[in-house]
Amino acid sequence: MKKVMLIMRRAPYGTVYTAEGLRSVMGLAVFELDVALAFVGDGVYTIMRNQDASGLDMKPLGEAFSGLSDFGVQHYYVHAPSLAERGLTTEDLVVPAEVLDDAGLQRLLAEQDAVLPF
Amino acid sequence: MLYMVNKAPLSSDSLRSCLAIAAPGDPVLLYEDGVYAAQAGASSAPWVLEALKTRPLYALKADLEARGITRRLDGIQVVDYNGFVALVEAHNVIPWL
Repeated sequence: MKKVMLIMRRAPYGTVYTAEGLRSVMGLAVFELDVALAFVGDGVYTIMRNQDASGLDMKPLGEAFSGLSDFGVQHYYVHAPSLAERGLTTEDLVVPAEVLDDAGLQRLLAEQDAVLPF
Repeated sequence: MLYMVNKAPLSSDSLRSCLAIAAPGDPVLLYEDGVYAAQAGASSAPWVLEALKTRPLYALKADLEARGITRRLDGIQVVDYNGFVALVEAHNVIPWL
């Protein structure tokens, strides 16, 4: 089975990238792929708890990312230095993500057949 | 002058350059991704707290809530859309895009 990873590097809401990444994961579910998500840099903000986007007339993106197991997403990874730099820990996240350091992320990227950046 | 910043503090130099250039006392309104500067414990917190010594910083409530920013730096004032309008009415505005 081919391995595909989406690498989420941007904060949600401020740009369209996060929502497009979410749409892409749902689209990938049609194919038989081993899909992983990695949250890096401002991308870690995507899966912060307690998002309430009703004041912006938008749906909360964090929760949407936590429900992707139905779409074949088996693996969530988060870059530890990015979390720490932003004053966050895994307790602040809506998904049980595996924590990676730089070397761990490098290994993971090397294993992929394709990496899609958002 | 009221400066308005809408980029996150660690992936953009928008807030840093704004704070370097804005005159002491000039207020800064954080909105959209700019509100991430209000997150307590972030590596940007020391220089954001330093800025608070010389000027008021405001953060837009709807943008904080959307992003789940609940642990906030003391001293950043939260404003709703009415507060946002009041600030804009009271000052000349420089959007720091």
